[in-house]
Amino acid sequence: MNDFIFMFLPYITLLVFVLGVIFRIRAWAKSPQPGKMTLFPATQGSEVPGVIKEALFFPSLFKGDKTLWSFSWIFHATLALIFIGHVRVFTDFPALWAALNINADNMSATSGGIAGILVMATLILLLLRRLAVGRVREISNLADYFALILVLAVIITGNMMRFSGHHFDLELTRAYFSSMLTFSFSSMAVPADSMFRAHFLLVQLLFIYIPFSKILHFGGIFFTQTLVKQS
Amino acid sequence: MGNGEKITGQELHDKVVESVKVIKNGPKVLNLYMDVCARCGTCAEVCPVYRGGPTELRNPVVRSDFIRGIYKKYMTTSGKFLGSAVGASDFDGDMKKWVDSFYECTGCRRCATYCPFGIDNSVITRKGRAIADATGYTPDTMKKVVKTSLETCNTDGASPEAFKASIEFLEEEMKDEHGIDIKIPVDVVGAEYFYVPPSGDVLVNPEATTGIAKVFYVLGMQDKWTMSSKCFDGANYGLFTGNDADMKADNKPYVEEAKRFGAKYMFMGECGHAYRIMKMMMEKGKWWGELPFKVINCMEWTADRIREGKLEFDKSKNPMPVTYHDPCNFGRSCGIVDDPREILNAACADFREMYPNRGENWCCGGGGGLSAMDDIRDFRMEVSSVKKMEQVKATGAKYVATACSNCKRQFMQLIETHKTDFAVGGVHDMLSRSILINGKAAERVDWEG
Repeated sequence: MNDFIFMFLPYITLLVFVLGVIFRIRAWAKSPQPGKMTLFPATQGSEVPGVIKEALFFPSLFKGDKTLWSFSWIFHATLALIFIGHVRVFTDFPALWAALNINADNMSATSGGIAGILVMATLILLLLRRLAVGRVREISNLADYFALILVLAVIITGNMMRFSGHHFDLELTRAYFSSMLTFSFSSMAVPADSMFRAHFLLVQLLFIYIPFSKILHFGGIFFTQTLVKQS
Repeated sequence: MGNGEKITGQELHDKVVESVKVIKNGPKVLNLYMDVCARCGTCAEVCPVYRGGPTELRNPVVRSDFIRGIYKKYMTTSGKFLGSAVGASDFDGDMKKWVDSFYECTGCRRCATYCPFGIDNSVITRKGRAIADATGYTPDTMKKVVKTSLETCNTDGASPEAFKASIEFLEEEMKDEHGIDIKIPVDVVGAEYFYVPPSGDVLVNPEATTGIAKVFYVLGMQDKWTMSSKCFDGANYGLFTGNDADMKADNKPYVEEAKRFGAKYMFMGECGHAYRIMKMMMEKGKWWGELPFKVINCMEWTADRIREGKLEFDKSKNPMPVTYHDPCNFGRSCGIVDDPREILNAACADFREMYPNRGENWCCGGGGGLSAMDDIRDFRMEVSSVKKMEQVKATGAKYVATACSNCKRQFMQLIETHKTDFAVGGVHDMLSRSILINGKAAERVDWEG
C-alpha cells in the first residue's frame, strides 16, 4: 500500500500542480485591464528587463525593508539553487564533472550542505519575524504559518537525509525516478529510506498546495510588476 | 454619485458581496491583488498613515483584507473550504468601520513603490470607496464636494462672475507689481492653450496663476492662451469617491470647453490629481475618443522654456530656503519630478531637497481627497502627516513649494496647528516673485516667508 502511494501519487501531484498553476495564470492573463496603472519612476519600452530584475533581485523590497530583503532574498536564491541541485537526484553528468575536474559528490555534499543550512536558517528567521514584528503578526493568518511550516518540514527532512548520518542511496533513488519517468511500473522499486519517503511526501503536499495558495506569488510577480512599473 | 440613500441589513450585505465578487471579471490589477499578496508587511513599513500611528486598522493589508477576505470566501477554492484559516471572511455589516478605514488611506501609492509584487493598495482603497459610494456611505464632506463640482464645474461652487472678479483682481495685482498690463485672457475662442488650474490657484493661492500669466507675457504669447469662466477647476473628486461615472461626468465639460476654444493644448495647472486624470486616464484611456488637443502641464512647459534660456530671474527676490514637496499624483503617478525642480532652482536662491523625494516622497497626509475632510482633521494633523513633518523640518526650509491644492491645504492646516515657521505655496508662485519682465522683477515686499 505504501509503495502504491509512492508509485502513483507523484503523477497526480504533477498533474494538480501543472494544471492548477496554468489555470490560475490563465485566469489572471484573461482578466481585462482597461488601462495601465503606471507608477513612476517607470521604464519605457520593453517591460521584460525590469520584471526579470524584480524577480531575480527584489530591488523594490530592497528599498523598502532591508532586513526582510536579506532574509527573503537569501532564502529564495538558495531555494532556487537547491531546486537546480536536485537535478542530480534524477540524473548525473559525469562528462561535465570530468571536463571541469570536479568531484561531484564532494561538491554536492559541501554546497548542498551549506545551502540546506542557509535555507533553513533564513526560513526560520522569516517565521520568527512573522511572530515578532507587530505589523506582520497582525496580518498573519493560519495559512501564512502553514506555508512556512510546510516548507520548513520539507527542508528539515531534506537536511536530515544529508546530515543524520544514515546512508542515503542516490543510485537507488535515481533508478526509482528513472522508472517513473518511463512509466516502468513493473521494475519500479521505491527506496525504503524513511527519511526520503517523508521528504518526498511533504514535497508533494507542498506542490499540490501551491496552486491554491499565496505561494503562487512566484507567478503573480510577472503580472503585477508589469502593470505598475511600466508606462 | 450614489443616490444618497444608505442601504442596510441584508440588502447592504448582498450588495457589498456582489461588488466584491465581480472583481473576478477584472480589472486585472484587482484580480491579482486578491491572490498574490505574500503578507510580508512591507507596505505598512512604508505607509505614511501606519508609520504616523501604527494601529491594526491602519495596516494596509488589514484594510485591503476587508475586500480580500470577502473575495476569498466567495471566489476561491481554499476560502470556500478552509474559511478563516486562509483569511476568508464575510462582510460583517459594519459599514462605518469600512468607510472610516478606506478614508484613512491617502491613496498615495507609496506601498506600490516598495511592495515586492508592486501591489498598489490605493486600487483596493478606491474599490472600497466605490462600494461605500454605491451603498450610500460616502462621507458627507466628500459627497458635498462631488455634488458642488458636478453642478457648477468647480469644487468651490464659485460663479463665473466671482471667477471674473478674481481674475480682474489678479490683473490689478500684476499691474502693481510690474507697472504694466499683464493679461489673464478669459473665454477666448481660438486660443492655443487652455489653462485649467485647481480653483484654489485662482481663489485661494492665486500667485501660481499670476506666475503663468507672466511666463506667457514674457514669451510674447499673451493672446495664445485662455482660461474659461465656466471650467476653471480641474479638481475631480470622482477619483476619490471611487465613482467612475462621476469622474467622467466631472471631466466632460472640460474636454468640451477645450474643443469649443479650438485649443491645441489642455494646459493643466498645479494640481496633481487633475493632471493625472486628464493625462493618464482620460487621454490615455481615450474616454472621449481621439482628441483635437494634447494634455500638457504648466510645469513641464515652463521648465522647457527655462531650459531654452527664454526666461530670466532675480533669485535674490526669493532668498529664503525653499524645498519641494512632490505631490503623489504628480510624482509617483505622473513622473513629473524634474520640471518643478528646474523652475525652483531657476527662481530661488536656496533650493533644498527633502529626503526621500520624487517617486519615494512621503505623502503630505491629505492625499486621496482627505485634505478636504475637516471631519478627520485631527487624524491628518497628528497621524498621516507625521513622516512629512519630520522630512520638512529636516530641510530647514522656510517655504514649502508644492504643485497641489490639497497638499497646500494640508500644509496650511499643519502650519496653523503645529505653529511651524515655514510657509507653503506653489511652484509658479516662486517664479512669479522673481521672473524678470523687461529686466525687472516684481516690486513687492509683503510676501510671507
